Amino acid sequence: MMEMDLGIAVRRNGNVGVIQLTGELDAYTSARFREVMVDTIENGGANLIVSMEGVEYIDSSGLGALVGGLKRCSERNGKIMIVGAQPQVRKVFEITGLEKVFPLYENEDEAIAAFGSKL
Amino acid sequence: MTKTQLTKQQMDISIPEEFALRDEVRWLKSEDIRLFRLLRESMNKIEPAYVATYPPSECGIATFTKDVVTSIAKYTPFSKPTVVAIRREHEIEPYERIVRFQIFKENRSSYLDAAKFLNESNVDIVSVQHEYGIFGGEDGEYVLDLLGALEKPAVITLHTVLQRPSPNQKRIVQEMVQLCEVAIVMVRTGRQIMLDVYGADPAKVTVIPHGVPNVHRVSAQSVKRALGMADKAIISTFGLINRGKGIEYVIMAMPKILEKHPNAVYLVLGETHPGVRSYEGESYRNMLTETINRLGIEQSVRFNNRFLSLDELVRYLCATDVYVTPYLNKDQIVSGTLAYALGCGKAIVSTPYLYAEEVLADGRGILVDFESPESIADSIIRILDDPKLKESLETAAYRYGRRAAWFNVAVDYLGLFHKVLNRRRLAEQLSKVRA
Repeated sequence: MMEMDLGIAVRRNGNVGVIQLTGELDAYTSARFREVMVDTIENGGANLIVSMEGVEYIDSSGLGALVGGLKRCSERNGKIMIVGAQPQVRKVFEITGLEKVFPLYENEDEAIAAFGSKL
Repeated sequence: MTKTQLTKQQMDISIPEEFALRDEVRWLKSEDIRLFRLLRESMNKIEPAYVATYPPSECGIATFTKDVVTSIAKYTPFSKPTVVAIRREHEIEPYERIVRFQIFKENRSSYLDAAKFLNESNVDIVSVQHEYGIFGGEDGEYVLDLLGALEKPAVITLHTVLQRPSPNQKRIVQEMVQLCEVAIVMVRTGRQIMLDVYGADPAKVTVIPHGVPNVHRVSAQSVKRALGMADKAIISTFGLINRGKGIEYVIMAMPKILEKHPNAVYLVLGETHPGVRSYEGESYRNMLTETINRLGIEQSVRFNNRFLSLDELVRYLCATDVYVTPYLNKDQIVSGTLAYALGCGKAIVSTPYLYAEEVLADGRGILVDFESPESIADSIIRILDDPKLKESLETAAYRYGRRAAWFNVAVDYLGLFHKVLNRRRLAEQLSKVRA
């Protein structure tokens, strides 16, 4: 694999796990994202923010990984929120209707505030 | 001449299996019914039907249709797509279960039967793939019977947009556009022709690129090793072989290329088009073989005379140094093989037919004269001599091709389907209010 691979960085914002992605979330990369997400959730991050500001494209395997992550979060009464989705990525959530399952926020602060009101 | 065949070991370089949304949702049904229900209630529902030729029929439209159907289905886990397959009367095709109705190409009444089937089904929207030759009647005019009787909204993808149509061909396209909500073409040039030549309403013609497989760039060298061709400079052309491909001009270019690059090999991948084989057998391929023998370059041209699987095709493309489409028809408005080469990030040399002119602009490929071995040889040598040029062409092609990956094209189609349905619902509501 050469370019447009997936970059993944994990950090915490209070008690919320933040996974920051750059590149493409597709059949080649979603398994790795899934692993990182599971690790983050199992290490105390029942509530997750997935930052997609740097994500150029997402395909259905990326969405599948998110749904798999949501299953684990919801078992721990947590949620997953998406921030910074670019137009092409946002379109995928809207067209599938998954924006009703994974709320989309402009930035991390908005998502944290939303978590605050729901925690 | 030797045949190239992939061994099992070589099959290891492949497109990854996708554990997609659809699989995840199916799994949730038994693992987490609460989340399954949440998804079922939240996700958009759409029941599309597709009218076209369909595998195992071996034709470009059939492959395209299967790619569209499969790619869209990955985003719609609660929908059940329907295919209405067009086939010749005498063929028995072992279709997948998704093919729920069949149109016999030359049987006019079966077009009306198909419309009745779709009207009575739970299908929301019908996507028709159009190429004159896949429908029955003069210039495939029976498609109008289907569209005329259809009560469900339809969108049509035009695989051929002739610049100089006959009066009958022009009439058919104009009526199809009239009967459909939207006509899809694959390049901007096609859209312009629709407006200028056919007088189509601009609001009814949209561009969605030809899809390409999702292939991340890999080092050509590693794939060449797997193919046992590590020391070769690989030039290739693939597709269903017919006279319009102009393959003889690349063969005639080979002696000059071999003078500079003795390790060059030209791979011609794909079987003779079944439609062509039925009326002229292998005469075109035989002519190519005679040319190769006459030029004494038997060791430098290889044929793989069969319909290649996607994985095989992608492997050969990944191993390719220069991909060539030497096609002869200036009016050709789409080429699946060129789209695939872009998707795999290849350095491409092509004659300037309409599709190539548009997609290879801005440094994404090199255009050569029609029927010109000299021009083909010079361009291929230029690329093989200059690694920086090759890398720049590959990168530009790949970036362009990513936007056309099937997973993105599926989103474009789904977006269009929803737009059409929303517009129709709104129109129905308005007419109720007015009544």
